Amino acid sequence: MTVQAIKTEIVQPSDFESIRMVKGADTIAKQYSVYLTDESRIDGGHAEWLFFPTNEQEVVAIIQKMRENNTPITIEGARTGIVGGAVPIDGGAIISMERMNEVKGLGFDETVQRWYIRVGPGITLNELKTILKQKKLDDNISIPSGSDAVKRFKEDKKSYFYPVAPTEMSAAIGGTIAANASGATSFKYGPTRNWIRRIRVVLSNGEVLDITRGQYKAQDGIFRISTSTGDIEIKVPSYTMPKAKNAAGLYTKPDMDLIDLFIGSEGLFGVITEAELWLEEYHPACGCVVFFDDADKAFNFVSLLRETDGIEPEFIEYFDENAIKLLKQKQEEDPKFVNMPKIFDNAISAISFDFLYSEETIVKSLEIVKQLLEQCNSSVDMSWCGYEDRELERFKHFRHAVPEIVNNIIAERKKKYHGIHKLGTDMSVTNEHLVDMMHFYQQTLREEGLEYAIWGHIGDNHVHVNILPRNMEELEKGKAIYKKFAQKAVEYGGSVSAEHGIGKIKHEYLLIMFGKEGIDEMKRVKEALDPQYLFCANNMFPK
Amino acid sequence: MKIVVCIKQVPEADKVAIDPETGTLIREGVASILNPFCEYALDVAVKLKEQFPEHNIEIITLSMGPPQAKQALIRTLELGADKAYLLSDRKFAGSDCLATSYALKEGIAKLVPDFDLILTGKQAIDGDTAQVPAEIAEHLGIPQITYGLDVTLNNRRIEVKKETEEGYQVVSARLPALVSISRGSNIRRLPSIQEVINARRKPLEVVSVEDIKIDETKVGLKASPTQVVKIFAPPPKAAGEIIDGRDDPKAAAKKLLEFLIEHKFV
Repeated sequence: MTVQAIKTEIVQPSDFESIRMVKGADTIAKQYSVYLTDESRIDGGHAEWLFFPTNEQEVVAIIQKMRENNTPITIEGARTGIVGGAVPIDGGAIISMERMNEVKGLGFDETVQRWYIRVGPGITLNELKTILKQKKLDDNISIPSGSDAVKRFKEDKKSYFYPVAPTEMSAAIGGTIAANASGATSFKYGPTRNWIRRIRVVLSNGEVLDITRGQYKAQDGIFRISTSTGDIEIKVPSYTMPKAKNAAGLYTKPDMDLIDLFIGSEGLFGVITEAELWLEEYHPACGCVVFFDDADKAFNFVSLLRETDGIEPEFIEYFDENAIKLLKQKQEEDPKFVNMPKIFDNAISAISFDFLYSEETIVKSLEIVKQLLEQCNSSVDMSWCGYEDRELERFKHFRHAVPEIVNNIIAERKKKYHGIHKLGTDMSVTNEHLVDMMHFYQQTLREEGLEYAIWGHIGDNHVHVNILPRNMEELEKGKAIYKKFAQKAVEYGGSVSAEHGIGKIKHEYLLIMFGKEGIDEMKRVKEALDPQYLFCANNMFPK
Repeated sequence: MKIVVCIKQVPEADKVAIDPETGTLIREGVASILNPFCEYALDVAVKLKEQFPEHNIEIITLSMGPPQAKQALIRTLELGADKAYLLSDRKFAGSDCLATSYALKEGIAKLVPDFDLILTGKQAIDGDTAQVPAEIAEHLGIPQITYGLDVTLNNRRIEVKKETEEGYQVVSARLPALVSISRGSNIRRLPSIQEVINARRKPLEVVSVEDIKIDETKVGLKASPTQVVKIFAPPPKAAGEIIDGRDDPKAAAKKLLEFLIEHKFV
């Protein structure tokens, strides 16, 4: 059977010596140490080379040169990942994409009637947000070139935005594609995968793939790539993807799009040098925080909210009893830090969510919310509601305040126990198992007597359980429980990592999820595309 | 008892920049909000209403502005006001402090003639003139207390704790009176879902010049003697010199004295 093949492009490399680079492990360790770790704070990163390419030709030149001596390459975006994906533990070379951060184009796809923006991988979500909000675009970047796309975009009365919104908005686009990043609003918009129209990737042989969504699909699980030295055949893994939100392992489906193999691949297959992102029309939102005097009422409310017509939340977020306790305590010590009215005395848990706001529909929407609350025997009075941008910012800050408080507690404990760290889970389950999973978390943690707080994306059945060990013994206990949770999540049809990815620190959980066979299948894809394990070795699975 | 709270819708000031070439405000993409000082005044009114249920306090908010200023009034209804009026008419366009205070005075006198107390913010964060509250009181011929922090009721009198340069004073006045409020909580209140629903069922009336027979010659651009010559950002303050006295306070004190003598401050 013939399989449609995609051809690589040969790009003329630039002069290697003209590329901005730092040489020498000592210099890098002393003067450029920020490039040796990411938000995971994993130790052990080291490198002989640190490159700052400004265009694709330079990336090609770097890869060709590094290949000669089998020098491992770690690809870095803004290093905001928390699973160590950007930590160069194998040494070798770092390619920092931070200088490839320009907006390269803007176009309107006539077939689907949607705007898209073309960017370098180094641009951050925050930068992109500002550019789109202000429509700050050069007139000469229209796609196709010479057209009036930018002019039309500016004249369009509607506002547009890029809906992927992880907590860390300083993340770079390239990194978010490699991680298939998501955040609270993925409840409505889905993860990064849904928003990528096209990418360009430099492969380990120095040749370039230009992949537009919809053009290269697997046939019976096979992709074929024609390179200058022969064809590469890729067999996509045969495991079934979980139905729940997932960022663990390679994406696979028998008839999948080639672009989806690269999205979420944690840098295993190549360097993304350009991406086109779909844009979405921006609508103002109304945000609510509703409090409950009983945790089960909150779970009940979540399932009602998900099922109801007439309200389409962008996100549904949860705060458990301990998260609320931490917030109440902090509010007494430092009210401005929390920056909210006093939390209601008998609040045990809370749900934060939003929906589209217009003055014409707000009463109708809130009446629906009120009804749902009444169905859960909960009061509409124990709530906050706001729709001005500054109030929505406050709600967002309120959601982010809990992890900040937890991180501060752990930082304090680190002073006594250097090796201590928090254990934050990132697991999802399917809708029907949400309540069972929540009960399992609570029961297990209470039985073990560990300090913990739970919050996060309950709309996607994806909460972050954070265990706060008080000593090294509790840390070990916590690790064992973490594994138990991973097993249970998989049993409930979920994922061991719904948004953070696997990186270098969650290999054992990926094994729980896909088994040795599944991991071996992923390795075969890696070996087909990057036989030398040049790129980001030890991300997702051990080399 | 009726409390009138005068409010203004303003651009979110910390996000407004001045175009260095044209000298005009860049308001694009900047949200409109209820002036924070007006919100403090509303907070005081709501607190009085809760504190003195025996007075059956009704809170009426009043503003003069374009139709979109309704949004700021809706916010006051969410945060505890019972009724709101918006004086909105092309004839008000271009009003300065004098014309605005006249229009507001007319609004109060004709829409809430039986008012007991008027609360305002000390100033609006866009113009920062702090003229309108005092002028309303003058137009109405009632006592005014400025820079109020806290207000309490005592029979037909109010007691106001007011800011002064040295500290604070407690001043009393007979009602009706006007108090402008200069400070409040740095944590804004948030309405509940029910309050947001209720706000949209409370009366909010848009009133024109014709509706309440305001003298047209006293409002709008022609009735406004103020002329804005130029708007500019204040020049940044020059960096001061810090005398570190932690190691040797005496030497530091001496250095300071020399500085003061040299610049003829002492």
